[in-house]
Amino acid sequence: MKPQLTLQSPLELPYQEISNYLNQLWISEDKDNSGANTFTLIVWQPAWLEQCLVQTGLINGPITGNISPEIIKVAKKFILDNGLPHTTSLNSDELLNLLRGKLSNKDFEDFRGQFFESSISTLHPRRLITLAPTLKKNSEIKTFVSAYCPLGDNTGIQPICGDLVVIRGDSNSIKDKGLKIIDDLSINELPSWLWWNGSLDEAPEVFDYFANFGIRLIIDTAHGSPNRCLKVLDQLKKKDKAINDLNWLRLKSWRESLAMIFDPPSRRPILDHITDIDVDIAGDHMLQSLFLISWISDKLEWHFTKIEKHKELIKIEFERNKGEIISICINPLPVENPSIHLGQVIGLRLISKISEVQKNNTCVILGCESVECMRLEAGGMADMQLIEQVVPNTFFSSESDVSKLLGSSRGHTSPLFENTINIALKIFNSLNKK
Amino acid sequence: MPSTLSNPLRLGLRQERVISPQCLVIFGASGDLTHRKLIPALFELYLQRRIPSEFGIVGCARRPWTDNQFREKMKLKLSDQILGKEKEWEQFSSYLFYESVDLQQSDHIVRLSKRLNEIDKLQATHGNRTFYLSVSPNFYASGCKALKAAGLIDDPKKSRLVIEKPFGKDYSSAKKLNKVVQSCADESQIFRIDHYLGKETVQNILVLRFANTIFEPIWNRNYISSIQITSSETVGVEDRAGYYESSGALRDMLQNHLTQMLAVTAMEPPGKFEPEAIRNEKAKVLQASKLADENEPWKCCIRGQYGEGGNSSNRLKGYRQEDGVNLNSTTETYIATKVFIDNWRWQGVPFYLRTGKRLPKRLGEIVLTFKDVPVHLFESTIINPSPNQLILRIQPDEGATFKFEVKSPGSGMKSRPVEMEFSYDKSFGEPSDEGYVRLLADAMLSDPTLFTRSDEVEAAWKLYTPLIELMDNTPWKLPIYNYESMTWGPPESDQLLSQDNIFWRRP
Repeated sequence: MKPQLTLQSPLELPYQEISNYLNQLWISEDKDNSGANTFTLIVWQPAWLEQCLVQTGLINGPITGNISPEIIKVAKKFILDNGLPHTTSLNSDELLNLLRGKLSNKDFEDFRGQFFESSISTLHPRRLITLAPTLKKNSEIKTFVSAYCPLGDNTGIQPICGDLVVIRGDSNSIKDKGLKIIDDLSINELPSWLWWNGSLDEAPEVFDYFANFGIRLIIDTAHGSPNRCLKVLDQLKKKDKAINDLNWLRLKSWRESLAMIFDPPSRRPILDHITDIDVDIAGDHMLQSLFLISWISDKLEWHFTKIEKHKELIKIEFERNKGEIISICINPLPVENPSIHLGQVIGLRLISKISEVQKNNTCVILGCESVECMRLEAGGMADMQLIEQVVPNTFFSSESDVSKLLGSSRGHTSPLFENTINIALKIFNSLNKK
Repeated sequence: MPSTLSNPLRLGLRQERVISPQCLVIFGASGDLTHRKLIPALFELYLQRRIPSEFGIVGCARRPWTDNQFREKMKLKLSDQILGKEKEWEQFSSYLFYESVDLQQSDHIVRLSKRLNEIDKLQATHGNRTFYLSVSPNFYASGCKALKAAGLIDDPKKSRLVIEKPFGKDYSSAKKLNKVVQSCADESQIFRIDHYLGKETVQNILVLRFANTIFEPIWNRNYISSIQITSSETVGVEDRAGYYESSGALRDMLQNHLTQMLAVTAMEPPGKFEPEAIRNEKAKVLQASKLADENEPWKCCIRGQYGEGGNSSNRLKGYRQEDGVNLNSTTETYIATKVFIDNWRWQGVPFYLRTGKRLPKRLGEIVLTFKDVPVHLFESTIINPSPNQLILRIQPDEGATFKFEVKSPGSGMKSRPVEMEFSYDKSFGEPSDEGYVRLLADAMLSDPTLFTRSDEVEAAWKLYTPLIELMDNTPWKLPIYNYESMTWGPPESDQLLSQDNIFWRRP
């Protein structure tokens, strides 16, 4: 359970009074403490799965916005009990739609916006605004407000405080009134971040509002249809907006492990002779694998030539300067207990051929576990020089990833990701044209 | 096709911390260190895109240069490094400014303060400043006082003070200097620099010890019989005779660089990888260190001075024949000493430290020699089975070697030593940054992990106090032995180890 940020429950106030109340709060409090001089963090926090499970009575409330082990356990049981495949992701539309059909009118407490991991609170956000859309339609906007002072290691030092605001209501009321409230609450002299902690398919008007707002965005392209996610990336890129994508961030250990293999200069020539790449992904959401392929092709200066879909498989071809073809295959695999994030890379195989004699060629395998490495070894790979590495998909919580971004990024899109997006868009658009 | 001279997949992956907008003020900007180390390190940071666009470098010295003269002089001195990067240098040099300042003149500091305010506006550096004292150590105290008096280091969040070595010339002067510096600035603002700690390989000792399970269990007196720490130079005193005559090898190298290597090698694991946790452990181990014989310190130290050497085509002068050196100088250019650490981990394990000029090789290394096996079951192909050794190479050819016994090929069961190698070059294929690149960036980022805290500096001086007192009061008890240039120091230094039945490693 994440720590509760506020000692007391936030005060419910009419939304028209929030801005005034906060101004008064900081004036009337300790004069030496005018609040953290950091940033505003706005969080789109739908927590649909948790809301559904509470409202169907499968778990007890309150709703906190956290994916607890209990939620995962109950949701997995629900999947099995209702005949959905083992491989169903906890964020899949099938699961949520099934749950939505079983909602009761049960009342529950909603504590969204009050629980944050210490990795975020220790960054002392000056203002934390949570947009908490409700499942219930026609629910009017409600606003809550509180000050908070995270306790740090250094007792004796004056605490650095901030305030938090929760805006709760159905998606329409958030769109109609909630955004206006955010407008009033923005602190001009501090940078603002939006963490879209939901699917990019939902509430497009709300998202577009922020995309046009002077704000730094944190999104997760593992959630939302690949089409919509790439469209969002394209829009943001065209508007020159800073893009921070948690789905790209989670590829970091794969990029690092692959780079590590080619750190010794003796291995670098292998890169010049790569002919085939296979990427295994969990489920059929192809974006993360597309990012990985696009990053590799960018760094090795390959040019995209074509893409084809063969049933589930996606085949992509690139060309090196000398006209040599590199064939890429993205294989969606059903996995038991899939990650909550869709389409995560679970295996990568590169084949580099310098000779007709198999043993002189090289096969590089990265797998999320040794079983995956063994799977990728099939087909005579062991006849080649084999370089293998296990890259465990040990995901940190999204909040921990977000805190890393907030703590390190100045709000620019990473140049590596920018190039990757360009190539990924080119490939995906080519697939859509067919 | 991309060049595979560097790893194309590595490009852009390093997530370096970005330095916040600020002005770096270098006092002693006309000196060697500025053009040999500081400006090259800053240019390197610029090439790595780690310097923000809101940045300024203000050179200060007594010479009446203009901004443009300073830029031109730096360009000339760095010509080799700039070659092929002229465009980048042109952009970088727009960060360079110069102000003629004598730190002893209060009106000069007032003028500097005004200039810094102007540069703040011009470069949008928000009054955030790092002051680098690259001046004679005699001016450290007065320099700090002058900056304090002008109100330039009043804000601990916006100002930092970097002080070069040597920090003091003995325990009492270091203590006194600490007192003065700490009266001018908060300890969190003070960065006492020891460029050895900026070396990748010195930092790697921490990773090697605390990120691997195999080393730490044997990193103690139960398995290690002795540790040698060597830092040798092939060069002589060069043009530093003025400074070197008053410092010598003890103050120039032993008290700081070698002692820092000792601290990193011998410290206990910190609870967290946080600056204060690491510095606490380093300070603790230095406080527990003592000369092998404090009552008769001459028995655990050998001093030497290089004489003539070389060959007929390249005759090398002896130290006393060097320009600026007293003909009867008793300054040591070589020192070797034996130290014990009075704690549970290292009780009874001798640490041998040596450093010198005009030795046959330029190198820095730490050699951990493990205890002999309890029973020798196999005959060795050489006289005796050699003990296992872990050799950590600090420079050059950075890396590590593990020496162990294997079966020699043949029908018998004879053993012979072999070496298992790790080389930074072979594993990463890219040169690591100069120590100053890392340390300058860390200071500007207010990260004190790799800087020495006041108690560490004092403990390091205290360790050698018996030797310094001996050298000052009864120098004949610690004679200077002559050694031929390009040899491994005076033969007497071998006796320091041979009495323990140990030999210096011949790298």
